[in-house]
Amino acid sequence: MSSSRTEPGASTLIDVTMPQMGVSVAEGTVVAWRVDVGDPIAADETICEISTDKIDTEVPSPASGVVAEILVPIDETVSIGTVLARISTDADAELEAAADEPGTVSPDTTAPDPTKARAVQAEPAQSGEPAQSGESARSGEPARSGDSSGNGASAASASAGRRYSPVVQRIAAEHGVDLAQVAGTGRGGRVRKQDVLAFIESGDGGATEPPLHIESPYRPDLVPESPAAAAPGAAAPAAAAPGGALAAPASSGGATRDVPSTLSRMRRQIGEHMKRSLETAATCTTWIEVDMSRVEAARARLGVTGLAFVARASIEALREFPALNAWLEGENYTLHDGVNLGIAVSLGEDGLIVPVVHGAHELSEEGLAARIRDLARRARARQLAPDEVRGGTFTITNPGQYGSIMATPIINQPQVAILDFEAVIKRPVVVTDSEGNDSISIRPMTILGLSWDHRALDGAMSAQFLAAVKRRLEGA
Amino acid sequence: MSTLTYLQAISSALRDELRADERVLMMGEDIGVFGGAFKVTDGFIEEFGADRVMDTPLAESGIIGTAIGAAVVGMRPVCEMQFSDFISCGFDQLVNVAGKMHYRQGLAVPITVRLPSGGGFSGGPFHSQNPEGWFMHAPGIKVVAPSTAEDAKGLLHSAIRDPNPVCYMEHKHLYRRIKGEVPEGVFETPFTARVARPGSDLVVIAYGAMVHTALEATDDLDGASVEVLDLRSLVPLDEDAILDSVERCSKVVIIDEANVTCAAGAQVAALIAERAFESLDGPVVRVASPDVPIPFSPPLEQAVLPTVERVREACRELLAY
Amino acid sequence: MATTKIAETALATEESAAAHLQLDDRVWLLRAMLLMRGLEERAMMLYRQGKVPGSFYDGYGQEAVSAGAAFAMGPEDRLCVLHRDLAAHLIRGVEPARVLAQYMGRATGVTHGRDGNVHFGDRKVGCVGMVSMLPDMMLVATGMAMAFKIRGERRCALTWFGDGSTSRGDFHEAMNWAGVQNLPVIFVLENNQYAYSTPLDKQFAVNPVERAAAYGFVGETVDGNDVEAMFEATRAARERALAGEGPTLIEAVTMRMHGHAAHDDMKYVPKEQVEEWRKRDPIDRQDARLRELGFDVDVLRAEVKATIDAATEEALASPMPDPATATDGVFCEGEAEPLDDGQAPWSGFHS
Repeated sequence: MSSSRTEPGASTLIDVTMPQMGVSVAEGTVVAWRVDVGDPIAADETICEISTDKIDTEVPSPASGVVAEILVPIDETVSIGTVLARISTDADAELEAAADEPGTVSPDTTAPDPTKARAVQAEPAQSGEPAQSGESARSGEPARSGDSSGNGASAASASAGRRYSPVVQRIAAEHGVDLAQVAGTGRGGRVRKQDVLAFIESGDGGATEPPLHIESPYRPDLVPESPAAAAPGAAAPAAAAPGGALAAPASSGGATRDVPSTLSRMRRQIGEHMKRSLETAATCTTWIEVDMSRVEAARARLGVTGLAFVARASIEALREFPALNAWLEGENYTLHDGVNLGIAVSLGEDGLIVPVVHGAHELSEEGLAARIRDLARRARARQLAPDEVRGGTFTITNPGQYGSIMATPIINQPQVAILDFEAVIKRPVVVTDSEGNDSISIRPMTILGLSWDHRALDGAMSAQFLAAVKRRLEGA
Repeated sequence: MSTLTYLQAISSALRDELRADERVLMMGEDIGVFGGAFKVTDGFIEEFGADRVMDTPLAESGIIGTAIGAAVVGMRPVCEMQFSDFISCGFDQLVNVAGKMHYRQGLAVPITVRLPSGGGFSGGPFHSQNPEGWFMHAPGIKVVAPSTAEDAKGLLHSAIRDPNPVCYMEHKHLYRRIKGEVPEGVFETPFTARVARPGSDLVVIAYGAMVHTALEATDDLDGASVEVLDLRSLVPLDEDAILDSVERCSKVVIIDEANVTCAAGAQVAALIAERAFESLDGPVVRVASPDVPIPFSPPLEQAVLPTVERVREACRELLAY
Repeated sequence: MATTKIAETALATEESAAAHLQLDDRVWLLRAMLLMRGLEERAMMLYRQGKVPGSFYDGYGQEAVSAGAAFAMGPEDRLCVLHRDLAAHLIRGVEPARVLAQYMGRATGVTHGRDGNVHFGDRKVGCVGMVSMLPDMMLVATGMAMAFKIRGERRCALTWFGDGSTSRGDFHEAMNWAGVQNLPVIFVLENNQYAYSTPLDKQFAVNPVERAAAYGFVGETVDGNDVEAMFEATRAARERALAGEGPTLIEAVTMRMHGHAAHDDMKYVPKEQVEEWRKRDPIDRQDARLRELGFDVDVLRAEVKATIDAATEEALASPMPDPATATDGVFCEGEAEPLDDGQAPWSGFHS
């Protein structure tokens, strides 16, 4: 998404480039700038809006800093990759920004090299100062911390002077493994086939490859704000779908004792909403299996989460089936033009909340990912504005990081449908080639569940909607 | 089923063929009255007569050439070279007359040439060779090399029944040292490879006597799971089996008792490099005799022929790579 | 000296020939030789026109050696034919058009383009195609005879080979094998005076025909340019073979009137030698013989020419082989079919 360039003696300048919104897209037009030169900007904050043949979307800033240059005016059409603006950063600000965003580190970014940061700091901040030899040469290296473009998983060969055998490269590519993270037990420390296989088997073992749902709103924060949230082993409430079992108080081991307890106000409010929903709607649930191979590949490339893809696919499917993008309150049945997408966010012990991405239909996968991240962070920080939890027309819940595969979500009133996105799990599946020959392949599979209101919809339409989402996820 | 030595299995196949098909004719030096230099045809002349268990003049070119003549008028000659080494005297007839006849004239030459091969007992340069590489290289000739008693019988039946010239590499070292369960009666073993022991960390590819060397060398190798693939057939070469083993194991050691340059293993290595590149987790390693005539004196011979220790070391090194 | 021996033999065979040959047979013999020479002359023309790839070999001047000997072979007998023995193929039944197509490397040639010039043997008429290594085919013929003997069949095998090839080991191995096993095989040594450029005195110290005795069987010298003498000698040898009396080596004395191949101008041959042998041309001699018997040779010659013309047209019209088939047929995939019987026009086989 962006690249960076440094000049000896200056602070880091990071480029903001015209993104490629689709394989066939070759150019884009800037339609609005959200900042002026000299304004501060935070990483992931929208810096401008663009229009392309395929989609109109926002461009999030690749780094935090100050807008140093704006190079392309409004209504100018430029080719993909053209530098639109530059942001001036300094290393400290970058480090802080990175620390501020638990879980927002792009999966494919390596951590900023502290020695490099120190080298940069040692330089005088004025530009134009002649470079010192030695140290400045080192600091002249582009800092990689601001680089959120995915290049770890796919560029498997020759990292830090290591060579990888053909089979190791192939396995790494198939599983999106960054070989730089794999310890080698072969001769001279080379990575052997069993090393990469063991790495995949053990999950991450401390690698930067995150679980598939790092952005799930239900994921506890990295920075322990509340001890309970940081300890997933404790009786984490809301580990399941909203509408799943109510949190039971932790039963400590030992003798059974009855411990009187109370439910929090928020918990009770949520409970009321859920109960009312079940009593009002004729709730049914339909499921469909989806092969997430393409999504996994695109994820790695774009550095965003699976949820963003499911969101995008759902939004497009809602265009085909607008009946699912509606409100039903008593006799009043309202269809909505645009999609305000609710995303269920876990608030730890306190329960859950559903902030809304307004105008979600206008966002790309990256745009959705950025907005979801932002909303989730502010939700957990209790910084959501009231408008941000109202007006949703369709909701997605994504609680899959614990490995659950299916659920029966409860519809978020007064909407008529809710989509559940659980764990993505590798399974053996039958694939048919172009000549009709079947074979077994290992694919990352997920089961999407749609709870829907039989007062407004029927099974056929719900199934077709799911099929439309599946088609987009598998075929896009 | 009965337990037979490798040699007994060969005799069994020959006897069954002579009984089953009156067209089968055995030809070789000292095979009739004497029963063969290694006693493979002991007792045959009494049962089948001097015509069908023929003591030929000392003339390898003559043996192969006349066998070709007999074959094109409807017989099924099984020639014996007393030692595989002497095939060089019949090379011309085998390669130029037999090998090329069907391609050129559409005339099949159903001969079998038995070649007692291999060293390990101070046979010296002219009684220890493994010449199969020469004939893998000649179009129109099939080459098989059994390592077990069962395959010795089954492959010989198949060879004799094949309408093409077949070189049957019978390894002298295995004659009496290898025993196995062998089914009764006629059975035909296909010209394919056989997994002698399945594994997953590394595969050793070998044929003939080297299969046993491979099995012994990797039986207990630091807990590693080592597959041993017995090629059994060199022409046709079972490419699918080779590629399958390499895909699963990713590390390969190929053994040839023959001299290293252009031995069968060189062809196997080339095949793997070209078609199994993406399955490889290490270089394709070969263990073979160096390009020297096989020496006579035991310490020299042992230094040349691939030993269990050499194979074990090569595997160990590759496993650690 | 060889010449004396020939004269004596000639007398003997003239009489016995008469005893065994009808007029039709004698015409057949001339026809075979005319066809052989005519086809080879036509092929030489095509060669010079660039239509025959590779090399071209002919048996100009020694047609009687193959015509006479082949004529004495029965349908069940088997032949290993060499490169100057085209008449043998023709007598056994190979069509002239296929022969020309063979020279031109066409798909309809006897080997379908797999081998060239006279390196062919139509297995359907009991002929084995030769290899270039000489005299490898002597052993193959010996082996065929060996099979006949083992099976107790009244059949024999015959092979031709040249004076030069007797220097190689396979000559000895075949002669020895045939003698030791007393096999029904006829070895026809075409002594045409030269092996490429090598004359006889550089080839052997003792004429091979004299060595037959050393191997335990009969060796006889015959006028190779007298087709009826060749026939008679072969007929008698076959009779002996079928009677269990073993092999015969027939030395057919003749002269190679053209170079070793089309690319050889045979400068090494003294012109006088060539002239001397031209007077003994086998076709001229049989022609004269038949005219003396009142047969209209001109009609025969015209018929042969017409046959060759038609064959040329047919061969020129046939396609080259499909490159996609280049790797087919290395191995036999089905049953191994043995050689079939061939034609045997001699009246002695039909009475």
